[in-house]
Amino acid sequence: MTAHQPLRARLSPAPGSARLPAARALTAAAGATLAAGGFVHAQLYLDGYRYLHVVGMLFLVQAAASFGLAVLLLAGTFLRPPALVHVAAAGTALGALAGFAASRTVGVFGFTEHGLQPAPQALVSIVAEAATVLALLAAAYVTVRRARAGTSGPPSLP
Amino acid sequence: MKTSFPWRRAGAAAAAAAVLAVSGLTLAACSSPAHPAASGTAIAIAITPGSGQPSLAGMPGSTATDPVTQPSAPMASMSMPSSAGAQAPAGTPVSADRVAIKNFAFAPAAITVKAGTTVTWTNQDSDAHTVTSQNNAGPLNSQALNTGQSFSYTFTTPGTYHYLCTIHPFMTATVTVTR
Amino acid sequence: MTNPMTRRQFARHTGWFGAAVVLSVAGGEVVSHIADTRDSITAAATADTNTLRFVQVSDSHIGFTGPANTDVTASFTQAVDQVNSLGFRPDFVLHTGDLTHLSAPGQFDQVKQMMSGLRTDRVFTVPGEHDSVDDHGRAYRRAFAQATGGDGWYSFDTHGVHFIALVNTLSLEKLGHLGTEQIDFVRRDVAGLSSDTPIVVFSHIPLFAMYPQWGWSTDDALQVLNLLKRFSSVTALNGHVHQLFSRVEGNVTFHSATTTAYPLPGPGRAPAPTPQVLPARQLHTALGIRTVTYRQGTTALAITDQELA
Repeated sequence: MTAHQPLRARLSPAPGSARLPAARALTAAAGATLAAGGFVHAQLYLDGYRYLHVVGMLFLVQAAASFGLAVLLLAGTFLRPPALVHVAAAGTALGALAGFAASRTVGVFGFTEHGLQPAPQALVSIVAEAATVLALLAAAYVTVRRARAGTSGPPSLP
Repeated sequence: MKTSFPWRRAGAAAAAAAVLAVSGLTLAACSSPAHPAASGTAIAIAITPGSGQPSLAGMPGSTATDPVTQPSAPMASMSMPSSAGAQAPAGTPVSADRVAIKNFAFAPAAITVKAGTTVTWTNQDSDAHTVTSQNNAGPLNSQALNTGQSFSYTFTTPGTYHYLCTIHPFMTATVTVTR
Repeated sequence: MTNPMTRRQFARHTGWFGAAVVLSVAGGEVVSHIADTRDSITAAATADTNTLRFVQVSDSHIGFTGPANTDVTASFTQAVDQVNSLGFRPDFVLHTGDLTHLSAPGQFDQVKQMMSGLRTDRVFTVPGEHDSVDDHGRAYRRAFAQATGGDGWYSFDTHGVHFIALVNTLSLEKLGHLGTEQIDFVRRDVAGLSSDTPIVVFSHIPLFAMYPQWGWSTDDALQVLNLLKRFSSVTALNGHVHQLFSRVEGNVTFHSATTTAYPLPGPGRAPAPTPQVLPARQLHTALGIRTVTYRQGTTALAITDQELA
């Protein structure tokens, strides 16, 4: 390898090469769980939640953003999306969780529900969104740790 | 170490992702609405009264074809009374105490008057209110007071009179009448 | 750590961002299209007698005068016109109470006359607390509820849906109240129905605890809701609160309708439920009517709320 390779490794690891299999797997998993959460929101939207004031539209936005970002995360198994995609995906999942919490407590634009209604979709979606956030955090942690290990000295065997 | 962009792998990944996306959306489409019931079954489109009720409630609209009309009730088409009647028995009226109805509350909420006093309630609020004894167990029974209308009552018997507004029953107050 | 982005990095970021936007929009379009298809199937059943469509109006408050609405009669006339121009003839119209503002005979006369202009076969009503001021609802019943038992509750069936009209605005203490006689009526009324019969309950005051501090709740509603627990689809429609609000509790979906007269503040948003004064051009956005559609074979009723034009 050429002499300037370690420098590049410090600033921006070459796409695909320095990514850990763990990071890729976690990103793909996050994509799958995000898609699952979006799918649940889409199904509820079609089933009748679209009639709710404002909340109906929020469901559509959540489902659409979830599908779009999930596709990109799944592509991230092979490619390396910018961190912003991960952040946006985590944000979409967190937003859905926050909306769920709000609907059980203070209400979202006048809409409230109780417990884990509707069952089983509510539980499925909470689990999927939480898993998305955790997977993305884990992927970020793994990547940062690897990058730090790379900058503290010559790349060594893990 | 790769020095050129991995086009083929990127292309394959994008294609796979697109296929996944499309199949996901198709699955969403396939959770299709329940198909309409077989049109062979006769659905009752007439409106029928519930069990145990001899006739249908409600009133006919403009397209009703049912010749049965509502029994005509004597309808006094008088205009709204401009002020509620006051119950003032004979006797020298003592200085009237006033209670204002404002912001969905009686102010003051508790007053003490001597027997023989006439108390006047004036509605200064934007909604209608009443002055009605609680549990219908008392003498206060105003009609609905619109904004600006008043109601008076002369208390002759000592005692404590709890009253409320029947339209907004969270509005409560008291008149204590002493000898 | 912060380097200015190279052109290549910028292109890369733009590419990914663009892909995200395109994919999300495409996904949203597909889901929305599916929803529209479903809605148009429902709407296309205009000639389909399997579809039930009715309209709910509420809180006309004929007789109200005040800055919040200086002409409630005109507003209600507009609501009636809007119902008549929906493009289909509703199977019936519901008025969920506070037809008049002061229970005056002239006001009952007027609102009854106005509602007889609705292009429908039947108009059903329940009284609001403004309709039963200090006469326990006698004037209201004389005008609207001659054929009913008790204090004006009743039920009816159409298109396989069972409707129950409840009166919870008499004998008010702090909250809406149904009373044991009415609860017994409901028990007998639903006794013979199969559990997959869709049920629609309508009342003036909400049957759920929307905001008890302002009386926006019914103290013994739970007894009726327990009687309806076995049914797979229960929808509760109410008025009284002058704003749109929905809630799901167990097997019951509650929908509060808005008024045709004047808006009230949201729960807890003001010290008291005072008529709110809006700029003249904005008033119509707070008023409205509601169309409810039910297609045989589906579980949920489709609720469409529209503002007064």
